[in-house]
Amino acid sequence: MKAIKTTAAVAILAVAGVAALGWAAGTDRAALAKKQETLNAEYGLAKEAKFYFVFDVLGRKIELRVRGMVLRTWPIESMRFWGKPDFTGAVELVKKTTLKAPERIVIKPGETETPAPAPAATTPAPAANPAEFQLEALELKDMPTRFGLDLDNGLHISIRARTGGSPGMASRLRDAWRWYIALPLRDLTASRRSQGFSELELVFADGKDPQSIYWHLFDGIKGIIL
Amino acid sequence: MIKRLLIAAAALAYLGFLAVLGASYFLGLKQASVWPPPAKAVPEKDVPKVEKNVQQLERRMTALQPRGLYIVIDTAENRLTLMNGDKPVRTAVVSCGSGVVLEEPGGKKRSWVFDTPRGEFTVKSKITNPYWVKPDWAFIEEGEKIPKAMEDRIEAGTLGDYALGFGQGYFIHGTLYTRLLGRNVTHGCVRVGDDDLKYLYKAVPIGAKIYIY
Repeated sequence: MKAIKTTAAVAILAVAGVAALGWAAGTDRAALAKKQETLNAEYGLAKEAKFYFVFDVLGRKIELRVRGMVLRTWPIESMRFWGKPDFTGAVELVKKTTLKAPERIVIKPGETETPAPAPAATTPAPAANPAEFQLEALELKDMPTRFGLDLDNGLHISIRARTGGSPGMASRLRDAWRWYIALPLRDLTASRRSQGFSELELVFADGKDPQSIYWHLFDGIKGIIL
Repeated sequence: MIKRLLIAAAALAYLGFLAVLGASYFLGLKQASVWPPPAKAVPEKDVPKVEKNVQQLERRMTALQPRGLYIVIDTAENRLTLMNGDKPVRTAVVSCGSGVVLEEPGGKKRSWVFDTPRGEFTVKSKITNPYWVKPDWAFIEEGEKIPKAMEDRIEAGTLGDYALGFGQGYFIHGTLYTRLLGRNVTHGCVRVGDDDLKYLYKAVPIGAKIYIY
């Protein structure tokens, strides 16, 4: 009787072991397929001398790359999502959207009584720190900390910095309404109409990261979402 | 009676809204449950072939990367990094394009955007004691008449001791305005401090890659 029990236990363990091995092999083969797919997509972008981005959702980071080299990494502090999660693969940034886009300074010599000084010839007023000079230029600090990215696969990515101070009540209410009421209802409506709807919100700990992303990701840049 | 009817209608509307919202959340949870989307496994018999393909792709990706010394410039942070493979050799605070638009007054209506060009470039020339051949915009910007003679366009000393040209009239060069290093102030060229410029000039060969982003 004891021998039968031992045999049964060994058999069960063997079956479980084989099943586990099979599952692991299946996972490895799925990972291999994913790796091949990703490398294929990236090689297609990297063989051209153009910048592209890689958005690693599970790795929580966005990278700017060229020729397979990572030029810049932006770590994502937190993210949340509404809609269909089938947005991975090769994408293109259609446009950046923001309430107040940074505008270039236009100099028209002779149109004003005192012509605007040229940026190269500007002699700024003495200041303790060169970073404090107010220049006639479009700089990183002029980029928005809150904006959207519309991708060609229908995914809309909202990007913002974690606010340093506490946001106002109106802003909180607007965000809460949008995230907890408007977007779920939009998702339901889109689903009923068999339309794709995907909205992703990314929050960055460093306030300069969204500005840097706005600077470096230009309309038309291609990328991969992993 | 009317008051009761109104309350009942409002309650019904509220319940209806909650039901729709509940359905939305149910749908959201259902959609989220399939994240991350499962990848289709490679058939057992194709594994060696796919593994070989992956290795080949990895080799190709490595081959795309520049060899030897190359320059990487971040136009937002105004930082230049001299790289050797994946190791930074020297980092310098620089000045890149201001992004300003200059419009020519009068009939011609030409305009210039003072951006540092982004992309992959190569060092095309290395010059000691460079002269600046002032283009039309330099005169227009100052409200001066554009000279006809070439010698009236030449200015010495403005570009520092060395310049590395990377095409289309753009250079990595020195500056008189060293306190503006780290800010976006140029007409598109990349201004570098004296010591860093000397190091770059000596280290970087013609043909080296420049990545400006």
